[in-house]
Amino acid sequence: MHQAEIIRSNTFRWALAVAGVFAVFVVVLFGFIYWQTDQYLIARSDRMIASQLDVIAALPGERRLDAISEHLKQDSRGVQYAGLFGADGHKMAGNLEQLPPQLNINESVQSISVVRTLSRDARVIRAIGRRMPNGDTLVIGREVDEAREISHVVGQALALGLLPALCLCLLAGAWLSLRAQKRVEEVNQRVQRIIAGNLRERLPHGNADEPFSKLAAIVNGMLDEMETMIGALAGVGNDIAHDLRTPLTRARLALERGRTNATTLEQLQAVVDKAIANIDQSLAIITALLRLAEIENSRRSAAFGTVSWQEILREVCDIYEPIAENKKVDLRVEAKHRLDVRGDRDLLFEAVANLVDNAVKFTPEGGKVAIELLRGDGQTIVRVTDTGCGIGEQEREAVLRRFYRSDKIRSTPGVGLGLNLVAAIVKLHGFRLAIHSGPGGRLEIICPDKQA
Amino acid sequence: MAVVSGKRTVLETPGSSPADVFAAAGDQLMIKVLLIEDDRETAEEITAELADRGFEVEWSADGIEGLDKARTLRPDAMIVDRLLPGMDGLTVIEALRKDQVRTPVLVLSALGAVDDRVRGLRMGGDDYLTKPFALVELVARIEALLRRPAESRETTLQVGPLELDLIERTARRGDRRIDLLPREFRLLEYMMQRSDQLLTRAMLLEEVWNYKFVPATNLVDVHMGRLRHKVDGPGEAPMIHNVRGAGFILRTGP
Repeated sequence: MHQAEIIRSNTFRWALAVAGVFAVFVVVLFGFIYWQTDQYLIARSDRMIASQLDVIAALPGERRLDAISEHLKQDSRGVQYAGLFGADGHKMAGNLEQLPPQLNINESVQSISVVRTLSRDARVIRAIGRRMPNGDTLVIGREVDEAREISHVVGQALALGLLPALCLCLLAGAWLSLRAQKRVEEVNQRVQRIIAGNLRERLPHGNADEPFSKLAAIVNGMLDEMETMIGALAGVGNDIAHDLRTPLTRARLALERGRTNATTLEQLQAVVDKAIANIDQSLAIITALLRLAEIENSRRSAAFGTVSWQEILREVCDIYEPIAENKKVDLRVEAKHRLDVRGDRDLLFEAVANLVDNAVKFTPEGGKVAIELLRGDGQTIVRVTDTGCGIGEQEREAVLRRFYRSDKIRSTPGVGLGLNLVAAIVKLHGFRLAIHSGPGGRLEIICPDKQA
Repeated sequence: MAVVSGKRTVLETPGSSPADVFAAAGDQLMIKVLLIEDDRETAEEITAELADRGFEVEWSADGIEGLDKARTLRPDAMIVDRLLPGMDGLTVIEALRKDQVRTPVLVLSALGAVDDRVRGLRMGGDDYLTKPFALVELVARIEALLRRPAESRETTLQVGPLELDLIERTARRGDRRIDLLPREFRLLEYMMQRSDQLLTRAMLLEEVWNYKFVPATNLVDVHMGRLRHKVDGPGEAPMIHNVRGAGFILRTGP
């Protein structure tokens, strides 16, 4: 990370801009201070001149001459000017050769240009003049340079401060830029490691208020989500491997042995039947998984229409009624109200069919299965209950894992994807699947009323 | 490419096995089926099976050639694979439909997603089978396509002693009135419209119950059991037959 980069970086440019504005502001501020100081000093000087004039003017005529001499004698630095002129304009006392022509008599202190006695340079002084009662004109003045000098010193000091301030600004800019770059670099490296496969890494974030930290928190959230998904996929891979390999292994074993050992056509046909059955089992699993993937990734909301829950529930009950009857399980449906939802009819039918299928399958003889359609608080609920073994508290999460089959029902046929399918369909519709723990089974599809 | 014309085989042993069923079907005339499938082994198996059933099979491994043959040979039915070199199956069907060719088409595909089925049928296919499939299933469906019940204004259906009143929704066998639940009526109606045809479980689920994917239960068997119980009374000649490993068939006689 090099000089050129620093200079080119936006942060540095911004710092430069800020420094520029700061400099302008400082110059303006200092200029203002300078001007104010200047004004104050001049005003003070003017007041002194004016009061000096008053003092001398208050004196009786003859005394004035002395006062002027005294006044000038005390002026060690030679900045004072005084003059007393007769009515005809001739000089009576002071260090001004003549009555300054530009001076406006009887007005306030003003700036005029005079030539001092015994000197040839014209100077600008602040002076005030007044006509005396006896016709003389009294002039008192003072050089401004002194005040100016003070202001000058102040100005210089301030200017000297400006340069360091600017440098500080630039340095700060460079430092900030560097710091930002470092953070970006750090994040970059982390991300590279994550991409390389280490999904566990997360971005560091200090206190949560800084914008960078907020961003890091968001990215971390994303990574959490991704890790879950990838974990699920990897898990599926493992599940698939096991559940597919088993029937395929059986098929292979049967064929291999049959080839060696079968002596009659019937025996060979039996072997072939067994192999076909196992291959079909594998295919059923593949199909079910593909369907699950299809639904989970589906954009099938295009196939959504208005669906009548009442109709679906009655139809599902109708279909499963003979099966329940064969098993001496009492199957009932209670869907008194016409409640419609927006969805895919086939999928919703399948979801309910799966729930009822499970319920009937896992309820022992003499048990009961009930399908109900209810209204909740701002939602429609489809409830399937049974008097079977139910789903235990600990199993509630597990049942939604692929291929999970509870020990309670291990002996019954099935692959363990039914609830996954229901969950996927329910999620696609924006509904919720609620699994309650015993006694007996109780599952609900909860459909919140959509805001129109 | 290859033209296989086969003779129908009649097995010696009587009984309801698939061979007998199709032997009866192939009796009428040599039905011409055009198979457009690019996998040689699959095509050979299908061709052999159909030939055994008495069909005359024409095979093409390419979409463009297949379309050409469809136009020139005018087959009675077609089996078209979706993923073909040259021109894909659905495009072939679309082209035929544009030319007003109404030959029934069975789409064969490794693409089994619901959307794929829907698309296949919408593009002009009449039925859709996903690979892998059972040969029995394939043949049963070709049969069904070839013998689709015509649009009929009949208000009653009659098969042997069985009579169905479609308006009144009543059924009788000879003099005996049969008490049917609505779903049983629908099932019987479907079977009577396709009497003497092998109806696979998949076909029944799809068409009677509109059920494309089922939880693994013997749904069809249980329902069929109920219906059979009502239709074939004690002492009466059975009309609903279970064809082992294949499906069911409604017919008079064994």
